Amino acid sequence: MRTRGGVLVANIIAGLALGFTVANIGFGDYAELNRMFTFQDLRMLLAFAGAVGIIVMFFALLRVRRNLGRIHAGVVPGAVLFGTGWAISGGCPAIPIIQVASGYLPALVTIAGVIVGIRLCRWANTRYFHLDTGSCGQ
Amino acid sequence: MIDYWPWWAGAAGLALVTINYTVTTDRSLGVSSAWDRVLHWRSERRVERINARVTDDRVLVEALAAATAEQFGGRPPAPAPRHAAPADPQALGLDTSPTADTNNPFANLLPAPLVSQAALLLSIFVGGWIAAVTAGRFHLRLDMGDGFRQIVTDKPIHMVATLFVGGILVGFGTRLAGGCSSGHGLSGCGRLQPVSLLATAVFFGTAVVVSFLLWKVF
Repeated sequence: MRTRGGVLVANIIAGLALGFTVANIGFGDYAELNRMFTFQDLRMLLAFAGAVGIIVMFFALLRVRRNLGRIHAGVVPGAVLFGTGWAISGGCPAIPIIQVASGYLPALVTIAGVIVGIRLCRWANTRYFHLDTGSCGQ
Repeated sequence: MIDYWPWWAGAAGLALVTINYTVTTDRSLGVSSAWDRVLHWRSERRVERINARVTDDRVLVEALAAATAEQFGGRPPAPAPRHAAPADPQALGLDTSPTADTNNPFANLLPAPLVSQAALLLSIFVGGWIAAVTAGRFHLRLDMGDGFRQIVTDKPIHMVATLFVGGILVGFGTRLAGGCSSGHGLSGCGRLQPVSLLATAVFFGTAVVVSFLLWKVF
């Protein structure tokens, strides 16, 4: 699955499964998300933490490549901005897509904001920050 | 009250998606980087064309350095000597584990094809739509639900402004931090990468503080 066609098929399968799973967990529901972040309902938090725990175990068993990554100057401010945006809009980069797919049409505005934010970041990085921020999804 | 999956089913589902993708492609799953590459498709396609044409590793390295300089600013590094000895992948910190492509240790350093990143975003939409329809949750609506109305705002104009500003923060923040909840949160934390553990702790912590402020203060 490491040819161009193989990666394309893997991405389609991953996208379908991710969209289906995230929607059924309830990440697209703003009320559920707020209940998770305010610890009123631990169900989604446990789903996320449980997934990380399972992944850690499998990656260790499979000896999956572990890139140490570089903690650059953009990590903390970027994560603060992302956390703020996630809490107020209810969307990380995948979730507004799922919200629109579930019928929440205002999430199109969130997607428009995400697009502007991503383009703005590359422009600002090229012009001012000059950070090699790396990327998790290559 | 809508019935969602119990936590253990959600954990198993998210883990299965991430593990399957990583094992089959030897890459990390990341939605924000897919967005980034699709939105900058012109420059990404240029790099892909160069990758496809180039057979000389030295020319490839120089082209990637020039593309990096274009994205991050600054001058590209000086080219390597023409007849330099081939680099040892282990000395460069590259993967030589059983999951790596043993024929070409550099293959998985190249980003996933642009078209596959676009397919990922479209597939997320289709997967979400199938979930909503099969669970009987699909309803076209012009609001974000009772929760958003009660906790954030019930005024349509404020809702649009909040969603747009929130989206900008998400887009800008995830690219500045180098990943999002899938890239840093699942793939990166799953690999116990320090940068991902730090990013996830900070974005989750910030979201907790902001959510409490929205719930209790505003």
